[in-house]
Amino acid sequence: EEEKEEGLIEFYDSFKDMFEFFCKNTTIHGTIRLVCSDGNRMKTAFWTLLLLASFGMLYWQFALMFSQYWAYPVVLTMSMHSEPKMFPAITICNLDPYRFQLVREHLVQLDHMAEESIAFLYGINTSASLFHANEKNTHVKDLPNVGNLSRSSFKLSQNFSLLRMSEHNNKSGKKHSSVGFRLCNATGGNCFYKTYLSGMDAILEWYRFHYMNIMSQLPVIINISDHEEQIEDMVYSCQYDGEPCRPSDYVHFHHPVFGSCYTFNSKGTDSFWTATKPGIPYGLSLILRAEQKDHIPLLSTVAGVKVMIHNHNQTPFLEHEGFDIRPGIATTIGIQQDEVNRLGGNYGKCTTNGDDVNVKLLYNNSYTLQACLHSKHIMVQKCGCGYYYYPLPPGAEYCDYNKQPAWGHCFYQLYNRLRNHHLNCFDQCPKPCRESLYKVSAGTAKWPSPKSQDWIRQALRHQNGYNSTSNRKDIAKVTIFYQQLNYQSVNESALLSENLLLSSMGSQWSLWFGSSVLSVVEMFELLIDTLVLCLLFCCQRFRSKKTLKVAHAPTISS
Amino acid sequence: TLGAVGLILWQCAELLRNYYSASVSVTVQFQKLPFPAVTICNINPYKYSSMKDYLSELDKETKKALETFYGFSEGKSKVRRSVDERNSTGSDFFKQIPLVKFEDFSKTATDLRSGQKRKIEGSVFHKDSSIVNSGDSNDIIGFQLCDANNSSECALYTFSSGVNAIQEWYKLHYMNIMAQIPLETKEKLSYSADDLLLTCFFDGLSCDKRHFTRFHHPLHGNCYTFNSGENGTILSTSTGGSEYGLQVVLYIGEADYNPFLVTSTGAKIIVHDQNEYPFIEDIGTEIETAAATSIGMHFTRSRKLSKPYSDCTETGADIPVENLYNKSYSLQICLHSCFQKAMVDSCGCAQYAQPLPAGAEYCNYKKNPNWMYCYYKLHEKFVKEQLGCQQICKDACSFKEWALTTSIAQWPSTVSEDWMLRVLSWDKGQKINKKLNKTDLANLMVFYKDLNERFISENPANTLVILLSNFGGQLGLWMSCSVVCVIEIIEVFFIDSLSIVMRRQWQKAKKWWNDRKRDQSAKPPQAGDLERQGHDNPVCIDEDLPTFNTALRLPLPQDNHLPTTPPPNYSTLRLETAFTEQLPDTLEVGQH
Repeated sequence: EEEKEEGLIEFYDSFKDMFEFFCKNTTIHGTIRLVCSDGNRMKTAFWTLLLLASFGMLYWQFALMFSQYWAYPVVLTMSMHSEPKMFPAITICNLDPYRFQLVREHLVQLDHMAEESIAFLYGINTSASLFHANEKNTHVKDLPNVGNLSRSSFKLSQNFSLLRMSEHNNKSGKKHSSVGFRLCNATGGNCFYKTYLSGMDAILEWYRFHYMNIMSQLPVIINISDHEEQIEDMVYSCQYDGEPCRPSDYVHFHHPVFGSCYTFNSKGTDSFWTATKPGIPYGLSLILRAEQKDHIPLLSTVAGVKVMIHNHNQTPFLEHEGFDIRPGIATTIGIQQDEVNRLGGNYGKCTTNGDDVNVKLLYNNSYTLQACLHSKHIMVQKCGCGYYYYPLPPGAEYCDYNKQPAWGHCFYQLYNRLRNHHLNCFDQCPKPCRESLYKVSAGTAKWPSPKSQDWIRQALRHQNGYNSTSNRKDIAKVTIFYQQLNYQSVNESALLSENLLLSSMGSQWSLWFGSSVLSVVEMFELLIDTLVLCLLFCCQRFRSKKTLKVAHAPTISS
Repeated sequence: TLGAVGLILWQCAELLRNYYSASVSVTVQFQKLPFPAVTICNINPYKYSSMKDYLSELDKETKKALETFYGFSEGKSKVRRSVDERNSTGSDFFKQIPLVKFEDFSKTATDLRSGQKRKIEGSVFHKDSSIVNSGDSNDIIGFQLCDANNSSECALYTFSSGVNAIQEWYKLHYMNIMAQIPLETKEKLSYSADDLLLTCFFDGLSCDKRHFTRFHHPLHGNCYTFNSGENGTILSTSTGGSEYGLQVVLYIGEADYNPFLVTSTGAKIIVHDQNEYPFIEDIGTEIETAAATSIGMHFTRSRKLSKPYSDCTETGADIPVENLYNKSYSLQICLHSCFQKAMVDSCGCAQYAQPLPAGAEYCNYKKNPNWMYCYYKLHEKFVKEQLGCQQICKDACSFKEWALTTSIAQWPSTVSEDWMLRVLSWDKGQKINKKLNKTDLANLMVFYKDLNERFISENPANTLVILLSNFGGQLGLWMSCSVVCVIEIIEVFFIDSLSIVMRRQWQKAKKWWNDRKRDQSAKPPQAGDLERQGHDNPVCIDEDLPTFNTALRLPLPQDNHLPTTPPPNYSTLRLETAFTEQLPDTLEVGQH
């Protein structure tokens, strides 16, 4: 009693007092009932149960809420925008790779070899008709400043010749024959046959394999100055929004398979083309040369022009989204833009500009998923040289079977692993956070019409050096336009943000207890008080024992 | 307070109402994607050369009609020969439903066989919505279908174009003929996998006919499905681009086409899920010959929420229409099955283009001479939604869709044409000695444009958690109340007041009983009744308990009431009366 009076803080005498005080004064609903219904046991029990039940409910709901929050759900909102925007970049390729002077002889050799193989496999003498185009090869590019490269170093390998294999299928009793070529590792062991059931596929693959080896001699950076390659050779007419294109509107590059390519409206010195109105008259209109006589017959079997619509500063991957244009046909391509914005962070892996990605981009353009995938140089790590179709990491060189005789073996095995999903390429390349997609729909018509083709050809002949006199289909017309200027954008947003979580927590609290954060603090206070009281009681007991001992001791001693 | 309660009730009602709404979410994922099944059919269902035996009658008739109407006389010698060879066996059927030329809209028509005019009865149906009324109404050609049992009831079908009329008429008879041929024979008559597929290449590897599953379509003959998942494995791809998709070269065989049934050349393909039925005739994409068609795909998967949120079905098991197709449910399947069922019920036989229900057989006019009239009637009802199929069938909750972008390049290019055709003809084998023609070939590439998968799913906008927290928010906002407080209110207003009322009733009953007793004993204790409701009455002591303050302050022990009792005369009176009833032995003691 003395302590209590002296103490600065007045404290409860017993747990019961404390509990009663808490129950009467707390902001939590219902606790007061616990104390007040003392007289009625049944009611007390009922209220205790009720409180415990709602307590349980509250925490169950909390658990659900948090588990939902930590799953980071996103909700997507679609909206239509109609801001003025830029016309996308357009890449066109003529499917006609150059026969560079440096490798020209080898290509001719290869053609002869292919010819021999076909004659050997199929017993048809094709030399008369098959490759006559090669002899009067007109489209040969000479490269400046490469004369110092030794020309004799490359030799076409005879080790990879096409063979026919026939196997008996016991089940059907039918003879299956397949065509393929043999690949061995560096020591000549572990050989396997890369076989194809169709001879056409086999020949194409075989040709491509040799083609890559030949092309690998070329220097990595091919400088084709603009004056040498003239856009007039491929594009007879170019108009955007009724005005002719300027030389600053396009850039030129060379693709090993798709040939000579031009990208319009990308990285120009001027500003990008703005799309003012939707509709065919306001789009890009091109008249293209689609000559076929220079094509390498065994590299690609299709003829025409490839068109791809993509973002500015994005490397075009024509094998993925290229759109074919047929010669003799006018194609109108309507485009519509879609935009996807991702949240990133906890809500899903994505990258804003590719800086945080492990893979160093080999293309000097903005990040895209395909660019990232192609920049992974597993091939260089595993086989020691680079695949010709993809750019080279620094310090590596393209595969050539004179230098790396086993690369084919290595490559096809690696490819099999990729096919069977054993390479984790996709884990390292996240999606970009912001993506634009172009939806394409096309219509075609015959062009030029029989009535008009005479004057069209005449006009082209006069103005553009079009020198064909035959009636062969060798020109094509493409019009690319916006179908509508408004675009759909899909935006991710968090389904449960932090303040939403807090507010629903508050709501739950108020639903089950009618309380707030302060009530929670009160609960904590109760807990602390209990602890303090426990300590106090312990102290008291300890002290009373001591005093008892002290009190007893003298009596004993006396 | 009442206003607040009203607001809460209103808001809560709103919340409950909104509970069964759904929001749509779209996720775009990137991963390796399962490659869809690709079904490829030749547009021409059966080889014309092998169908000669079955169709010669019909062809003869068609050529004759062409000759009569248009003076078209190509291939006359051939026709003559076939006329001589076989005498008509089924021609009476052609007689029954002949093509006729209508002169004006008067009710006369010229029969093509007899050349005689006859009266046309019945209602006129125009198959084409707008009749070309260019003054020259001689052009109108059609046919007449009559009810066999009641020949006065006829329906007349006219077409603005003779091409449509002849094709429709031909198809009608063609289906009758085909319905009589058993399935095995039909499979033999159609193209084999070796016929159709010249080369096949998937994801960098060669493939052959073993990767294709045959599937017989009643209208398109033998179709072949790539990656049908029949042997349990579904191919998937982790690289997009045309190099890594499916590449096939198809042999179309233009020369073996049926001239009347199909008028275009090429193949039809459809990209679908392994569990889906390929509705080639409805949604197939056509492929040109002598061209390379590249089809870029973009994959979208969508999912709707079923029952309380929207009216769709997960498996189709809850729909009273039997699924005749051996595939998973879709709206299309349901509509076709529903129509087929109605057809069997009302016409007695099944329509040729759709699968057979158990125990039924396909219609042909040898067995069911009346079926065509019945079919056209029924089909009209179906289109006008009078059969109830559209009401019964529901959307499927989840579906997969491949958006296709098609582009066409010239193939083969002039320089590669020569070697390629030679190699391909060698591949095709010794069966054909001559070099293949490029118009007999079609090149097809099917690939994923990008490996982005778009997944559109509906999620419930409100979960139980959110609903409860909204309730809590409303209660807290307007009344700073909680479930506990609601239960308090219930306790006070219902349980306690009910108990009070019950007690009062009990008292009244008691009083009434007492009164009766007292009437018997002729001693009415009026004062005692009043006293009963006094504060010291032990029975009534609980009355104040609901308001807890009083309960706290006055925890009246029951034994305590004696000292605070009012004047003794009353209490003795009360005691006396009470005891007279309940305790006769103690009463005696008290009197003493």
